[in-house]
Amino acid sequence: MSAKNNAQQVVSVSVQGLVTPPRMPPLPAMPYSLAADGTPFLLPAYGSIVYNVSIGDSAFGWLADCVHPGVSVMLSEATGNRGLNVLSCVGNTAIVMTGNAQRARGMVTGKTGRFSEHVIIHFDADAREEMAIGDKIVIKAKGVGLKFDDHPDIMLKGCSPELVDALEATTNAAGKLSVPVVASVPPHLLGAGAGLVSDGGSIHIQTADSAAVKEAGLDQLRLGDVVALTDYDSSWNHGYLRDAVGIGVVAQGDSPRAGYGPGITLIMTSASGDIEPMVSPGVNLKDLML
Amino acid sequence: MGLATNAEQLVEMAVIGYVSQPTVRGYIPHASGEATILPGMSGMIYNARVGDEAFGWAADHLEPGASIAHPDLDADYAMHYLTCMGNQAFVMSGLAKGTEGIVTGEHARLLVDFPPEAAELIGVGDAVQIRAKGQGLQLVDYPHITLKKCSPRLIDSLPIEALDERRIRVPVTMELPIRIMGSGAELNPDFVDQDLMSGDRALMAELGIDQMRLGDLVVVNHADHRFGRGYKPGAVTIGLCIHGDSIMTGHGPGILTLMTCAEPCIEWVIDPKANIANYLNIRKES
Repeated sequence: MSAKNNAQQVVSVSVQGLVTPPRMPPLPAMPYSLAADGTPFLLPAYGSIVYNVSIGDSAFGWLADCVHPGVSVMLSEATGNRGLNVLSCVGNTAIVMTGNAQRARGMVTGKTGRFSEHVIIHFDADAREEMAIGDKIVIKAKGVGLKFDDHPDIMLKGCSPELVDALEATTNAAGKLSVPVVASVPPHLLGAGAGLVSDGGSIHIQTADSAAVKEAGLDQLRLGDVVALTDYDSSWNHGYLRDAVGIGVVAQGDSPRAGYGPGITLIMTSASGDIEPMVSPGVNLKDLML
Repeated sequence: MGLATNAEQLVEMAVIGYVSQPTVRGYIPHASGEATILPGMSGMIYNARVGDEAFGWAADHLEPGASIAHPDLDADYAMHYLTCMGNQAFVMSGLAKGTEGIVTGEHARLLVDFPPEAAELIGVGDAVQIRAKGQGLQLVDYPHITLKKCSPRLIDSLPIEALDERRIRVPVTMELPIRIMGSGAELNPDFVDQDLMSGDRALMAELGIDQMRLGDLVVVNHADHRFGRGYKPGAVTIGLCIHGDSIMTGHGPGILTLMTCAEPCIEWVIDPKANIANYLNIRKES
């Protein structure tokens, strides 16, 4: 059981997205991106149906730029996509409405930010085989408005009641909410996403310096891992603040670009430090929720 | 006289923009959650110039001087990428026609400083043409140090010291810790700036960062801005404060990349006068 919350009062609402194609910049721009050392690279990036990368797999080592495990959805119309991105919560159920995989069920595992703004959904491998770009996916969005009864300083964002329950986050002897995580990310390793929206979107671990990533114990991260953000306040955007703590889910894979790396979808934050991350191995969406 | 450069090889090219109407984001939450409406972005700012305080204004992302943009997106990008700090600008239409200004920042729009008596006569929509020069500029004896958006005029004005074959020394007003570098990490380092994150107000006071002025040169140690804006131990980046503070989490004064090196070859010396208003004689009257 998790700490008491107001899940009974939270509304469950339908949001819909379409399976998105991968995108490239228009001509005459080169298709190359630049790695942190300036080397041009051409690799699959975000979006689409990814057949062979799933939550539970390593966040590192793929020949891809911030790969989204599973299936990515969005809407081309900006305000509709905002609703999709903000209201969808990690752990929500998704249902395929059209195409050969009709009625297949999946689960929201993350959201992404500026330049992509997708919702990432896990479907099993069989369903992915049957799906097509453009298929309509409905998400039973539930979680916006969620609060803990006894932790008014903690804001939940993009977090389903089911994920809260699965985390078994409880109030510890010091009165803080104890949340299991696989690792904590120090503020100097948080890059792209700082200053951007925290109700959707992503904040990235920056991995150009592999020694620093290893030193922080982040080199073994898996997609779907739950992590803590140290000295970061994500109450209104993501930003540096001593003693603030955030909790997020690793939603996207590593990147060769400067300032980028595995993308984190925020699920809770406390500016006053009312969250105590408890490092323990294997805290991953796959094991918690599937 | 500064260090040797390849300035004589650079092309000087005209780009044009138009003085913009102010924009407003609507309500912005303070870190405390209190919502506020503030001016700051775009338009013509009469009472804030380079050399003035970056903190303390009742404004958000205050852009000193005139903000100019081009309505055609491709032309606007060209203006952003080709214009360099210290480039000359001329008003081409309206009551202030013929007035010379100087480029002091690149944010959502290009920021141009004009003398106060001319600023009064500048209208929204007036054309401002910039003599863009500086892309391609190099310190010929220090090819491992990358310059970004530095005009030859700016580089020549800075008292940069050659220490040895690998290292130079640059005056700055202060050092910023890498852990407070925020919004802008998602952008390429040849486009606009990266905000320092001022949300930890106590830290701003402890480190004296709240004394920063618009136009200040600052250093960020362990920041590699060659091909992105990222953390790299030993790398050094010299930046320019181009816009004022922000109440938004993850935001604050804007730091535009001027020099960066992947190795510790840019040293710095703290000098409270390290501001482009002094180096470029922008405020001769004061």
